[in-house]
Amino acid sequence: MPTIEIEGNKFEFDGDGFLTTPAIWNEEVAGLIARYDGIEELTDQHWAIINIIRRNYEEKGMAPMIRHICKETGLKLRQIYELFPLGPARGACRVAGLPKPDGCV
Amino acid sequence: MKEANEKIRKGLEVLGSGEDSKLLSHLNACVRCGLCAKSCIYYLSMKDEKLIPASKVDIVASVYRRYFTFTGRQLPGLVKARDLDDKTVTEMVDLLFGSCTVCGRCVKHCSIGVDIEYVVRKGREMLSVMGYVPSTLQSTVRSALNTGNNMAISHGDFVDTLEWMEEELQDEVDDPEARIPMDEKGKKVMYTLNPREPKFFPISISAMAKVFYAAGESWTLSTRMYDVTNYAYFSCHPDEAAVISRRMYDEVNTLEAGMLVLAECGHGVRSNRWESPNYIKKQFGFEVLSSVELMAKYIREGRIRTDRGALKEKVTLHDPCNLVRGGGIFKDQRYILKQCAEDFVEMTPYGTDNFCCGGGGGQLAMSEYNERRMRIAEIKAEQIRKSGAKVVAAPCHNCIDQLSQINFTYKLNVKVKTLAEIVADSLII
Repeated sequence: MPTIEIEGNKFEFDGDGFLTTPAIWNEEVAGLIARYDGIEELTDQHWAIINIIRRNYEEKGMAPMIRHICKETGLKLRQIYELFPLGPARGACRVAGLPKPDGCV
Repeated sequence: MKEANEKIRKGLEVLGSGEDSKLLSHLNACVRCGLCAKSCIYYLSMKDEKLIPASKVDIVASVYRRYFTFTGRQLPGLVKARDLDDKTVTEMVDLLFGSCTVCGRCVKHCSIGVDIEYVVRKGREMLSVMGYVPSTLQSTVRSALNTGNNMAISHGDFVDTLEWMEEELQDEVDDPEARIPMDEKGKKVMYTLNPREPKFFPISISAMAKVFYAAGESWTLSTRMYDVTNYAYFSCHPDEAAVISRRMYDEVNTLEAGMLVLAECGHGVRSNRWESPNYIKKQFGFEVLSSVELMAKYIREGRIRTDRGALKEKVTLHDPCNLVRGGGIFKDQRYILKQCAEDFVEMTPYGTDNFCCGGGGGQLAMSEYNERRMRIAEIKAEQIRKSGAKVVAAPCHNCIDQLSQINFTYKLNVKVKTLAEIVADSLII
């Protein structure tokens, strides 16, 4: 399991860069992962997406459907991909501290 | 101890059932000349002799010699025969799961035609029946077995997403009657999806629906069995692969569809079309086509019309291994692109000689080997960079995810698209 140092803080990630222990996630961690992925500042729109992903994960143990994210935030599909250039799975879910979803992502 | 012996017995059964003369021929035929080294993205990227495809054949062959040949049984050291012990198993997992995308490029280059890919798959099958599939890959197989799709999408969420995409389609074609039919019986086409489409990337669903709309096709999606993937094809567990294959076969029959149309998914096309009849030991009574072939057919027959100048940016094409080298679909994707794009350029090499994106063979699902996956991807990154293209078309959702990561990691600044998206944007309706 690689440990990655982001701005002096050490985090354990799985091979794919998803947090090994989702429980250690907090808002500061999200900001650090995002910066690592080239997102300088997490805006309100980013946070709206992250919060929905977190809530879904805490309630159902998995990432929400993109449908759910769009419906709840009122954002268009295109905007989600713009906000998280690595996409909803490898981008948004990773910043939100979820484990890697199964399948072709 | 007893449990360990039982595992070994199961693993050896894969090698020694005595019925697989192909396996024995190919295990014995490889003379380890090493010509395959330069075919392999792992060897080319890391220059480690262990990674040469012949070494992957050799580890399986050495176990075979140990248990099924006279000399190997009596004097294993003399013929480099190996026990199927923990050390060998660990090495096998690392080589056959962790260092191979089962792309088959080495098979094409082998001067005596050893089916290295087949031997690797048999090695994986041994590990699979012994319970040594990397956990992330097995988890994806388990999701499919337990929930009917590899991302564990609930029925309600799936239907909700299709309804949403139906609305998008209606807006797009400005026709409130445009539809995404669900579970309708007696249609000509039963279409399928890769679960990552409804879960995270649904644009390709409405894109393909738009193509069906323009062609006036009689089609439906099943809401019970729509998952085109079969990850047990990667874990190489024959019984699990058969369960998944049979569900698709049964669903086509339940919906009384005339034709099964497979979404843009390399292994999905190969496993459903070519492997499935072997898994379930049954010949299909219906036609099976990939959506790439179907779209080309629509254009050729004049059922849809495209604007040849619709895509203005330079576009190149990635050839998914299982669709092209392993699936025989080579011309149709090129024909389609030339009907939609002004400036199409091939990568070098391309077609059946193309390099894997690095995400094949289940690699994309296996976090354990992510670092290697991105390292071997440099070859594909350079191919794309040298093409000078701004758009990369890839008729495989798995490749698309890997290509998107390559795009980000190697800063290529390209757009990665499915063919359905490109065709949908070029349609003249």
